Amino acid sequence: MDSNSPLTESIFYILLAVRKPNHGYGIIQEVGEITGGRVILGPGTLYGAINLLLDKKWIALYSEDKTSRKKKEYLITEQGKEAFFKEVKRLKELIQDAKLMEGLA
Amino acid sequence: MKKFRLYYDKDIEQDWLQKMSSEGWALKNFFLGVYTFVPCEPGEYIYQIDLLDSWNGAKEDFAAFMEDSGVEVVSQWYRWVYLRRKAEDGPFEMYTDIDSKINQYTRIKDFFLGATIFEAICLLVEIIAAVQTKSFVFGFFSILIGIIVLALLRIVWRCQWKIEQLQREK
Repeated sequence: MDSNSPLTESIFYILLAVRKPNHGYGIIQEVGEITGGRVILGPGTLYGAINLLLDKKWIALYSEDKTSRKKKEYLITEQGKEAFFKEVKRLKELIQDAKLMEGLA
Repeated sequence: MKKFRLYYDKDIEQDWLQKMSSEGWALKNFFLGVYTFVPCEPGEYIYQIDLLDSWNGAKEDFAAFMEDSGVEVVSQWYRWVYLRRKAEDGPFEMYTDIDSKINQYTRIKDFFLGATIFEAICLLVEIIAAVQTKSFVFGFFSILIGIIVLALLRIVWRCQWKIEQLQREK
């Protein structure tokens, strides 16, 4: 996934779910709620995506409670927000262009 | 209850674990082809099998992440992990989009490709030994390792086939 290609649906919704600090299970639940159960992230898919996003510095580790070995929380970074809004701009263009089809519906 | 099985295809292995669970037998441990089962409510668990990226470091991180996500790591063997979740918590699938499914099969393919190359080198050594010594023992082992190489190649080919199927769905 280079920086110019569209975001996958999983990546898009994960970024949305970490607009505020969120942990693994919280991300799965929130994405399920936002999409009304349409996008259910498998834990393996989420694990891979989180590591990818950490590598790209689109999200960062927000907190880690070492004493109780509790859940790690993640938060979107400035770079992540930039990528997200770039995608939103692209999606808006798609919606705008789709209006050409309106007369045929 | 213990059962001895050799599986090459994790999807078929997964289906078998699922069938055992539906019959009231939950996998508790796996080691070198020996599966240990304990009684459970019929259909209590959904099982998934995964292959980790690397076998050092990532292990604890992966296990902690899965437990935070409500998934139990039942057994680990080398880079292979056996995971389960209660069926009452809803459907359980480790990989839910095409990209991550392709990544998983690519990891598995590379794993078996590595094993194939290793075994092929062993085969070569055995054949050379068999030719030079004209010994029956080396000849026997050459055939045995030859069969293993073919079996491994078949898994690599199957993974490649699955990857191509998924790419067509994109």
